[in-house]
Amino acid sequence: MKKLNFEPVITAEKEATLRQEVREFLAGYGAFKASDVIDSWSVCDPEFSRAIAAKGWLGMTWPTEYGGGGKSYLERYVVIEELLAAGAPVGAHWVADRQSGPLLLRFGTEEQRQAFLPKVVKGECFFAIGMSEPNSGSDLASIKTKAEKVDGGWIVNGSKIWTSWAHACHQMITLVRTAPPSDNRHAGLSQFIVDLNAEGMTVRPIVTLAGEKHFNEIFFDNVFVPDNRVVGNLNEGWSQVMAELAFERSGPERFLSSYQLLEASIKEIRQAGLSKQSSKVIGEFVARLMVLRQMSLSVANQLQEGKLPINEASVVKDLGTSFEQELPEAMRLILDIEPRSSAEDGVERMLSDAILKAPSFSLRGGTREILRGIIARGLGLR
Amino acid sequence: MSELAVLIEESATRLFEGFADSDAHVTMESGKFPEKLWADFLADGWLRTMLSEDNDGAGLGLAGGMLLMRLAGYYNVPLPVVESLTGLYLAAEAGLELEDELLIPVVLPAIVNGNSRIELCGVPWARYAKGLVVAFEVDGKTQLVNIKAGQFSLVEGNNMAGEARDDVSFDASLLASSKPLNNISTEQVRSWLALGRAAQMAGALRSVLERTVEYANERSQFGRQIGKFQAVQLQLAVQAEMTSASICAVDAAIKHLGSTEEWELIASAKITTSESAGYAAKTAHAVHAAIGFTQEYPLQLSTRRLWSWRDEYGSETQWSAKLGEHCLQLKTDNLWSWLTTQTGS
Repeated sequence: MKKLNFEPVITAEKEATLRQEVREFLAGYGAFKASDVIDSWSVCDPEFSRAIAAKGWLGMTWPTEYGGGGKSYLERYVVIEELLAAGAPVGAHWVADRQSGPLLLRFGTEEQRQAFLPKVVKGECFFAIGMSEPNSGSDLASIKTKAEKVDGGWIVNGSKIWTSWAHACHQMITLVRTAPPSDNRHAGLSQFIVDLNAEGMTVRPIVTLAGEKHFNEIFFDNVFVPDNRVVGNLNEGWSQVMAELAFERSGPERFLSSYQLLEASIKEIRQAGLSKQSSKVIGEFVARLMVLRQMSLSVANQLQEGKLPINEASVVKDLGTSFEQELPEAMRLILDIEPRSSAEDGVERMLSDAILKAPSFSLRGGTREILRGIIARGLGLR
Repeated sequence: MSELAVLIEESATRLFEGFADSDAHVTMESGKFPEKLWADFLADGWLRTMLSEDNDGAGLGLAGGMLLMRLAGYYNVPLPVVESLTGLYLAAEAGLELEDELLIPVVLPAIVNGNSRIELCGVPWARYAKGLVVAFEVDGKTQLVNIKAGQFSLVEGNNMAGEARDDVSFDASLLASSKPLNNISTEQVRSWLALGRAAQMAGALRSVLERTVEYANERSQFGRQIGKFQAVQLQLAVQAEMTSASICAVDAAIKHLGSTEEWELIASAKITTSESAGYAAKTAHAVHAAIGFTQEYPLQLSTRRLWSWRDEYGSETQWSAKLGEHCLQLKTDNLWSWLTTQTGS
C-alpha cells in the first residue's frame, strides 16, 4: 500500500506579492457577468486570455526560451486559484496552459515547442483536447480514429467528441490509432498535433443541457497530418496521455467550479440573517474547502520537487468534484430562493447555473469511478 | 514528514508497538489503570514532550505533542496521552509545581458565578487523576487551578471505547486559589484539546484503513479476494481519500499552531476527522463482516475509539457552526481573502 502524501505547504512572501498583483489586476479589469462565473474555466473569452497573457500569467512555469515565465508551480497555483475564485473567464487558454504546453515540453520536439509555445504564452494559440470518441468515453484505449502512413505524414479518419471550444481553438492534441489493436490494447496509440482549420475537418457544435455551446463533435475526412506533428514516440501515446491526465487532475479548478455561489450565498445569508443551520452548513463547506486547498497546494509543491503524485492528484479530483457538486445542493437548502435560469444576475442565476452544470464536474478528466479505480490500485487492491 | 515527526515516530513506535501484545486494553476496560504501560511512558519521558527544557521537558512544544498523540491513536494506546500532556503543559505555563503525574485539563464554561458547586460531565480519566487542572476566565483573563484528587467527587462513566469519562463535582470556593495562565485563552485550551483528539483520530483512521485493505487482500469469497470486487474497491478508495484528507487537515493545523489562524485550522481538522470517522468505521466493518464485529478481533479497538472521539471536544456539528458563524461575520471583503491567509498570504 503506497502512502498518500499531502505534506502541507505554507507559501512565501513571493507568492503573497503575486497574489496581491492578481487581485489588483482583477479589480481593475471590472466585474464579470454573474452568468459567466460558475464553471468559469469553461467560459471562452480570448480578450481576457490576452489580457492575462500580457501580465505574464500564461505558460508561467515554462522555460523563458519559449517565452515562458520560468516561475514555480506554487506561483502558478496562486495565480490560477485567484482567477478561478473570482470567476474569471479563463476557458480559451485553459487547456493549452494546463496540459498541451506541458505535454510539448515533456515529449515535443524542439521545432514543435518553438512553433507553438511562444504563441500560447501570448494568448494567440489555443489548444483543444481530442481524446473521447463516440462510444469511447472512459474506455479511452478503445478509440477508433485511425491514422494511415503516407509519404511525409499521416492520413487521419474518424471522429472525436465532447471537445470543448474546438470552434474557438487553433490546434488539438489528438489521440489516434497508428497501429492495429493487439493483445496490449494500450499499444499502438499516438498523439498528433492537428490544425483545427486543416482541410477535411468538420466541427459541429453540441449544446449542453445548460444551453452552453462549448462542446463539439469533430469529423476527420482524410485529414493530412505531417510527420513533424507527431508528439513524442509513435505508438506510445497511452503513457503520454496518462502523464498528461495526472497533471490536469489536481489543480484548484477541480474544486472551485461553483465557488462563486458560496460567496454569493454568504452575502445572501448575511442579509437575511444567520441561523444555526446556515452557520453549520457554511462551516462544513468552508472546512472542506480549506482542506482541499491544502491538498491541492501540496500536490503543486510535489510537482515542483519533480515528483509525479498521480494517486494524490486523483484524490484531489474526486474529493474536489464532490465538493463543487454538493455545494449547490447544500446552498439551495439554506437559501430561501428558487433557482432562476432567466435571471441576469444574483444568486438565483448562480444557483441555476451551478445545478445545471454540476453533472459534468465529475465526468471531465476521468470519471469518479476511473479515479477511484486508480486510488484502489495505489492501495494495492488491483 | 518533518524531522521532528520522524524522530518522534521512531522512538515512540518502539514503546507503543510493545504494548500491543500486552493485556493493557483488558486492564483499562476492566476499570483499572494500565500502570505498567504508564510507568514505561513516564520512564521514556513522554509525559514531558511538550515542556520546555527549563522544565526538564523535551522542548518539542505543542506540535511535538500532537505528533505523539497521532501515533498513540494509530496504536490504540489505552492511556490519557492527550490529557496528560496538555494538563502538564498548562500546569507548567501557570507556574504550578511539576511532578510526573496525571493532571487532567478541564475548561469551565463561561458562566460559573453563583454556583457553590462546580459540576462537570464526562471528564476524561478523572478517576485516575492526581489533579484536575481547571482553566476558567475571569474578566477576560485566564486562571488555572489544580483541584487535587480528594478535593473532587466523581461518578464513574465510560465512553464507547471503555475509556473513563467521569462526572465530577467540586466546591466552587477552590477556584479562589487559582493562578494566572498568561497568554493562553480558555478558547485556545479547548481548541488544543480538540486538535489532540483530531490527531488521535487521524492515527486511528490510518490504522483502520491499513487493516481493512490488508483484510480485503487476504479474505477470499466467490473464488477471489474480496478486494478484487469493484464495489469493495470504490468504498475503500473513498475511505482512503477521507483518511488522507484527515491526516492533511491535522498536519496543517499542527503546522499553524501559534499563528493567528490557529483555531480556524483546528476547526477544519476536527470537522474533517470527525466526519471521516463514521465513514471509515462503517466501511471497515462492512468489509470485515462478522469477524470485525467480535471483541477478539482488534478492529473494534479503533472503531469504538473513532465513534467516541468524533464527539469529544466538539463534534463536527459544533465546530462547523462555530466556523460558519465566523465566516458569516467576517470583516474582510469576501470569504476568499480570509481563506488565503491560511496558506501564507
